[in-house]
Formats: sequence, structure tokens, C-alpha cells
Amino acid sequence: MPLNPLSDNTLMIAVRSGNLDQMGLLFERYNRPLFGFCYRMTGHAPTSEDLVQSVFYRMLKYRHTFTGDGEFRTWMYHVARNVLADHHQQNRQRYDSVDDWASRIGGGTEADEALHRTQEREMVHEALLKLKPDQREILILSRFQELKYEEIARILHTTEGAVKVKVHRAMNELKKVLLEAHEL
Amino acid sequence: MNCDAASERMLDWIDDRLTESERASMLAHLNGCPACRSELRDLERVQQQLGSLPVPEPSAGLRRNFYEQLETFKEEAKPRPVRKFFQTNGFRAAAACLLMAVGIGVGYWLSERSASRQQVDELSEQVRDMRQMMMLSLLENPSATERLRAVSYTRDLNEVNDKVLDALLTTLNNDPNPNVRLVTLEALVQLGSDPRVRQGLVKALGYQDSPLVQVALADAMVRLQEKRSVKPLRRLLRRENLNDLVKTKIEQSIKDLS
Repeated sequence: MPLNPLSDNTLMIAVRSGNLDQMGLLFERYNRPLFGFCYRMTGHAPTSEDLVQSVFYRMLKYRHTFTGDGEFRTWMYHVARNVLADHHQQNRQRYDSVDDWASRIGGGTEADEALHRTQEREMVHEALLKLKPDQREILILSRFQELKYEEIARILHTTEGAVKVKVHRAMNELKKVLLEAHEL
Repeated sequence: MNCDAASERMLDWIDDRLTESERASMLAHLNGCPACRSELRDLERVQQQLGSLPVPEPSAGLRRNFYEQLETFKEEAKPRPVRKFFQTNGFRAAAACLLMAVGIGVGYWLSERSASRQQVDELSEQVRDMRQMMMLSLLENPSATERLRAVSYTRDLNEVNDKVLDALLTTLNNDPNPNVRLVTLEALVQLGSDPRVRQGLVKALGYQDSPLVQVALADAMVRLQEKRSVKPLRRLLRRENLNDLVKTKIEQSIKDLS
């Protein structure tokens, strides 16, 4: 493997061995994708910022657990999934209601021309939320995070084939939910 | 290619992940299968809708917070100079607490110590009282050996009260055993700094009839340089049946004292 001085792994290994400033480069590289992941998972921007912050906090705190054997991205998403799981655990009562969640997305004060778009977004959000959490997660990872099936397989501790099948099923499930919503 | 296989490949079609040959056979199937075309259209629409989900920009606060956090980690990771450590408020607070604890500890220890010292003092006082009582009662013991023992106890007494002094002087003047009287004399000479003892010893000169005690008394007078003893010593010289040896000793003593 060629050692690119600016590759994720090289940077993270530098962080691990005490050059903490290199985490800044990794932050610049991944704060948006991570924010996107958290935002799509939670639908709440301030919460997502807190979660991204937590992900980087944990990566700094547990920097010694990065072995360098796998991809940095895989490790990062492992950490992010743990952070999200903890968040979900803590907010189970608060955020479990779909109505609650959806009400935070739309802006009731939005202008009329934006209303349709907003409603459509709300519908997709709601549809995503109607999926089982693991289906939602695999859709977000595969459709938004620009991760290869191979990478997702490592993040979720499964095989590439299984990921492909799960994505396919999740996509069909989402389609079903959206079609039902349109018919209503 | 059948419908199931086509369905499986639809996402890859959308994502443009198919190989050239897969693409060709997929296209062939779609051309002849309206159901799959419809399915693909729906899927594309879902994908489009998903893509329409906007993700807001993270606020500037995220970046600021991250770099603040990073600084904190860098601070923690730094091996801190010792002086800096001593200057931290945490250290100061800890030092203050420690000092206070030590202070309390020492105070407690001292009070404990003074308390135990007080106890020891009380105990040794009790022992002294007991020893005096024992001495006094032993002095009345018919056995000369016991009376000797009693007198020897006075050597351990730093202070002698009137009772003990009276008892010793009485023993010196009245004890039937000259050995006891000699030992008592020795004990009293030890206490020679006490004026009462000196006075008692001078008086005792008139009572002694044992030549040994007379000589020892004369010696004691010289040793204590007790001038007041000259008169009683002279009176002693005038006594009849005085041992010649004693006579010489006393004359010598009078000479030494005058």
C-alpha cells in the first residue's frame, strides 16, 4: 500500500502517535459527510452538530484504538454509529414519536411556493423514519455517504453480498412507503 | 435475464455500477418488460426524492468547538512541566487541604500526646505516692532488712515531703539497727540541699551513740559544710566513753568546718 502522506490512515496514525493537529485535516475532510449522516439519521441539525462533535471527541480520546489495519473511514463510521446508538438510547422517550420528529423538519412559516417542496421532504423523511432503523441506516450509508458496499460491509460487520441485498430491500421498502403516502 | 435478476440490478443501474455486458442484458430485459420498467421508474423517483433531502450546512460553531476540543486534548497530551503543575489551582487546593489535614492531625496528635503525658504524670504520681506509703510502712517493719530496703527507696524519690523526711530523721535517731541508721544517714545526705535535712542532721548529732554513725555524721557535716554542727560536735566530744577513733574524727571535722 503506497504511503500517501495525506491519506486518512497516515493522518490518523500520526494523531495516534501524538500529532493531534492532524485530526484537524481529518475534521475538514469528514465533518460534512458525518454531519450529513447524523442529520439524516436524526433530522435535527443542532443535535447532529453535537453528535459530530462527539464522534471527533471519541476519535481523539480513543485514538489508541485505531490499529491502521482497516480504513480510517470504516473506523470513523463505527465510532459514529456508536455515538448515534448512545444518543438514541438517551433520547428514546423524547424522539421516538414520528410526529415529533417530522414537526421539527418542516417550517410552518415557509413561503407558499416552498410549501410543496417542504411537504415532499417531510414525506420522504417520514418514509425514512417508518423504515426499521437498520434499513434506514443502510440506505443512508449507501445512498448518501458515498461508501462502497465493501466498506459498508466492514462497518456493519457483514458481507458485501448481504449489504447489497439489504440495500435493495430497504430501497423497495422505502418505495412502498412513499407510494402508500402518495396514494393517501 | 429474468425479472428477479433485473430487480436486483436496478440500483446498480441507477448508480452506474454495472459492467458493459450486464448493462446490455439489463437494457434488453427492460425493453421487453413493462413491469420492470415501471419498477425502475419508481425506484429512480425514490432515489430522486432521497437526493432532494437537503442537508443544511453545519454551523460555524461546529468547527470552532472542534478546534477548542482539539486544544484541550493537546493540553492534556502535553507532558506538563512540574512548575506549572504546582501553579495549578487544583494543586493549590490540594496542598491547602493537605496542610489543613496535617494541621488537624498534628493538633490531634499533640492533644493526644499531652493527654497521655498527663496520664503518665498521674500514674507516676500515684506510683510515687504508693512508694512513699510503702516506704513509710516498711520503716516500721521489725525486720532490719526490710527497713534497709525502705530507706533505699528514698533514693528514687526526687522530692521528699515532710512525712518522709520526718520518718527518715526518726529512723536515723531511733532505729535500733546501726546499719539502718547508716543507710538512712546516707539517704539524708543525698537530700542535703534541703535545709530541714541539714537541721535534722545537726540535731541528730546529739542522739547518736553508735561510733559508726557518729563518724559518718561527722563526715556528712564536713561534706555538707554545715557550720551549725560545730557546737553539737563539740558537745559530742565532751561525752564520756567516746571512742578514741570517733574523738579524733570529730576533732578533725571541727577543724575542717571552722
